Amino acid sequence: MKKHGIVLMAIVLVMSLLSACSSGNNKEASESSGAAGSGKKELNILMESVPDTDFVKQVVDKFTAESGIKVNIEAVNYASMHEKLVPQLLNATSSYDIIVVDNYWVGEFTDAGWLEPLDSYIARDKFDTSVYSKSMWNMVGQVKDTAYMLPFYNYAMSLVYRTDIFNNTDLKAKYQAEFGRELTLPDNLEEYVNISKFITKENGNSMYGSVMMGLRPDPISVEWLNYLFSSGGDFFNEDGSVRINDANAAKSLGLYIDNMKNAAPKGAAGFGFDEAFNVFAQGNAASFITYNWMLNKLQDENESKVAGKVDVAEVPGGVSLNGGWGWAIPKNAGDKEASWKFLKWVESFDIAKERALAGGSPTRNDVFTDSDVLGQYPHYVRVQKIINDSHMIPIIPQAPQLIEILGRELSEAVSGGKSAQKALDTVAKEIAELE
Amino acid sequence: MNAKQSVRLLNGLTYAALTGVALIFLLPILWIVRTSFTTKAVAYQIPPKWFVEPTLDNYRAIFSDNPFGRYFMNSMVVSLVSTFIAVILGAMAAYWIARRVKGGNFLRIAILGTQMLPPIVMVIPIFMMIKKLDLLDSWVALIVTYLSFSLPYMIWLLIGFFEGIPKDLDEACEIDGCTKMQAFTRVVLPLAAPGIMAAGILSFLMAWNEFLFALVLTGTGARTLPVAIANMETQQGVMIAQLCAATVIIILPVVFLSLFIQKYLVNGMTMGSVK
Amino acid sequence: MFSVKRKQFLIFFVPSLIVLAVTVIYPLVYSLIMSFTNASLKKQGFGEFIGLDNYIKAFKDTYFIDSGWNTIVFTVIVVTLEFLFGLAVALLLNRIKRGKKIFFTIIIVPMLITPVAVGLIWRLLLHPDLGIVNYLLGLIGVEGQAWLGDAKLAMMTVVLVDIWHQLPFMILLLLAGLVSLPGEPYEAATIDGAGRFQTFLHVTLPLMKETIVVAVLFRVITAIKTYDLIYVLTKGGPGTTTEVISYHIYKQAYTFLNTGYSSAMSYLLLIVIMLISTLFVRVSRGKPQPR
Repeated sequence: MKKHGIVLMAIVLVMSLLSACSSGNNKEASESSGAAGSGKKELNILMESVPDTDFVKQVVDKFTAESGIKVNIEAVNYASMHEKLVPQLLNATSSYDIIVVDNYWVGEFTDAGWLEPLDSYIARDKFDTSVYSKSMWNMVGQVKDTAYMLPFYNYAMSLVYRTDIFNNTDLKAKYQAEFGRELTLPDNLEEYVNISKFITKENGNSMYGSVMMGLRPDPISVEWLNYLFSSGGDFFNEDGSVRINDANAAKSLGLYIDNMKNAAPKGAAGFGFDEAFNVFAQGNAASFITYNWMLNKLQDENESKVAGKVDVAEVPGGVSLNGGWGWAIPKNAGDKEASWKFLKWVESFDIAKERALAGGSPTRNDVFTDSDVLGQYPHYVRVQKIINDSHMIPIIPQAPQLIEILGRELSEAVSGGKSAQKALDTVAKEIAELE
Repeated sequence: MNAKQSVRLLNGLTYAALTGVALIFLLPILWIVRTSFTTKAVAYQIPPKWFVEPTLDNYRAIFSDNPFGRYFMNSMVVSLVSTFIAVILGAMAAYWIARRVKGGNFLRIAILGTQMLPPIVMVIPIFMMIKKLDLLDSWVALIVTYLSFSLPYMIWLLIGFFEGIPKDLDEACEIDGCTKMQAFTRVVLPLAAPGIMAAGILSFLMAWNEFLFALVLTGTGARTLPVAIANMETQQGVMIAQLCAATVIIILPVVFLSLFIQKYLVNGMTMGSVK
Repeated sequence: MFSVKRKQFLIFFVPSLIVLAVTVIYPLVYSLIMSFTNASLKKQGFGEFIGLDNYIKAFKDTYFIDSGWNTIVFTVIVVTLEFLFGLAVALLLNRIKRGKKIFFTIIIVPMLITPVAVGLIWRLLLHPDLGIVNYLLGLIGVEGQAWLGDAKLAMMTVVLVDIWHQLPFMILLLLAGLVSLPGEPYEAATIDGAGRFQTFLHVTLPLMKETIVVAVLFRVITAIKTYDLIYVLTKGGPGTTTEVISYHIYKQAYTFLNTGYSSAMSYLLLIVIMLISTLFVRVSRGKPQPR
């Protein structure tokens, strides 16, 4: 017993010593980085852990070589980012010189005054913002005519589908016989749900017409919003009154529930992005409404068994949900000139193109239409159109609350706790009450 | 059936039941280990491929793309040091309460009461304090913060164990001329060893698994395993195979825990007979 | 005599008190003050004093009340099952000599896995279409379940995952209690010719009372505070069937940014747990032990 005690004691003593040293070092580091003008500058960036972040990591050395500024990128996952950012932004000074902001948070962050307006920097350095896709710029670029961000990457949604299933002659013939029309890629939601149910009926458990995701709050909300927007619905009227419980919305939710109950795999009401992705990637579903860049992942044989048999199209009905992230400088950042220098560099055409070629997801029109990029990703012609036609979640400070409420009520409607109309009425009531 | 046979039967049943329980815990772990050597496409394949060519890519990825060695070290240091401090301070405080405070119910509940608030509401004030002290992203920040739960739980658990030890024993020692501290270290501590061990393991595990404070208080330098693992759920999906590899790493301390467990919990019976 | 006592107080208790003051009492007081204000994560500091409004709001908040019921259901089921299984396994482990270390080592492994990973891994295992659990059930002719996607089953699924993760804690604590039981009462019972079950009922259980109270109360508190597992497994869904109170408070703080309101709900929760604990300790201990 004594022996163990001594060993443990020794381990702990050594570790406490180490810990004392390490914290000492950290302090030194932060002091030196705080001392501006000492010649050795550093930028700390908080990013989301996604491939685009890795592509940025791969090229930052070039920036350091050009400018002499060292760049530290800290990546955390989406769910953790908000918790991580808010205490930082609340404080007088921030540990981060640059952050990336999801379109959900744009309203909240700008409303709270946490982001540095970029207009003066843009005007001074004549940075051309017209190169950005309009729908991206209006979402993660400017807010009420003030530029706060540069659009970083997009995650507009789309219909990803199996080319072999939609071209299956046997299936096509049966569909023709049953419904008297051709089975093609649907251009409206009614037809989409009809085809989806038909495929599930024909193939039982081995092939579902579509795989869906009913997890609260984001997966179900973002999926259904495609149905809503494609049916001509929206959250608010022009005058700001709530319209999320109108006839269009109720109809689209009816279709959504129909698809979930009669075509999607059992348990889809609890699927998140990943469960749904894997059903599709294992070859068990014919269609999937998801982020456009999932196509690249589905072509990767390490992750998917349907590589070479998939393609991307507009969501049936044509209006999908837009999404994206923007680069921003926190108002409480230290050296904002250095931060802007990095933003300008990372969003320059050459670097944006390099990131796109590595597999990143572009926001600049000139990158989308670049011949090298198109040569590698021919489907970007369609993706660019999808982004331009897409519609965003309103940029308001309460956007995260909006999604939380919407997700809860949609889940109630799908799991049978409430009728579609009643669920939407609850959403309308609660978002009208949001402060 | 005679007595001997019935003991043998009982032993057999005991082992059968324990094997069943162990399997419930073990099978998912084995599946994790298996998944850590596959790709995502294979991980989700049903019916499962039972014999797959193992790949080390996931381990390579977590050690080269991510400094998992450092995260492991961070987790280990923070958990061990905070537990060690909690054991020392907690044992003394618990002993004092168990022996000196009459009734003790109020103090017990009050100490436990500090743990009844969800950690979410504690994060902001603690963040501000750590930031003011300029200790963000350091081991010290996490060690101090982790004492906020490990110390109260430790005190509270140990009061019970100390009260279980007859008062006469340490009083006898004091009558023989030793100080309170000597009575404590020579008589009470050895007797309470199984309890201290259990509470220590508990405190280690709570620190080992802690996520929210680690997320908010660390950057890349002092990041711990739970935060690193949470990052494997990305907007582009869960990196399930890498996550399983990381999980294999995170359960490694079981080797070292079982060492202490054997000493104090397995051979504990002899301890009891000392009394 | 007084000074000796004072010295003991200084040596034994004051160090802990200092640590507690900094790490626990300060944030507790901070959030208590916040609970009487309209503090929001959008602004620095405390916001304006609004008296008891937050507390009144909580009683009118149907989601708070509903999640409270869900929490009670979750906690009661989880703690009861874990206690019964935990006691059984601890007793079994305490009986055997050979193989004890191996069994114990296997059983404590789940405790080392961080809750986020536990959740994500069980999502893999319980995938209705691609999970190994439903596949194995299929092999023995049982129809696979939707587990987390089925409103009727989701809470039970969360409970099972939580038991897999947390049962080892219960086993650990109860075993530690069993191991340090004195030998004499057993010898006496054997001499009296008591049967195994009688010995368990009249010797082991009373001697274990203190440990059981500690272990059960520990789990009650941690179960009521469960939010990360819910966060990863269901996010409170389907519908609101698995929405527990800690997750509700978490969302009020980080999605709705109402730190004042979430602090008030936290304090209500604290009061309730405090009452349960006091009651529990009172009942189980009878009256304070004579000293």
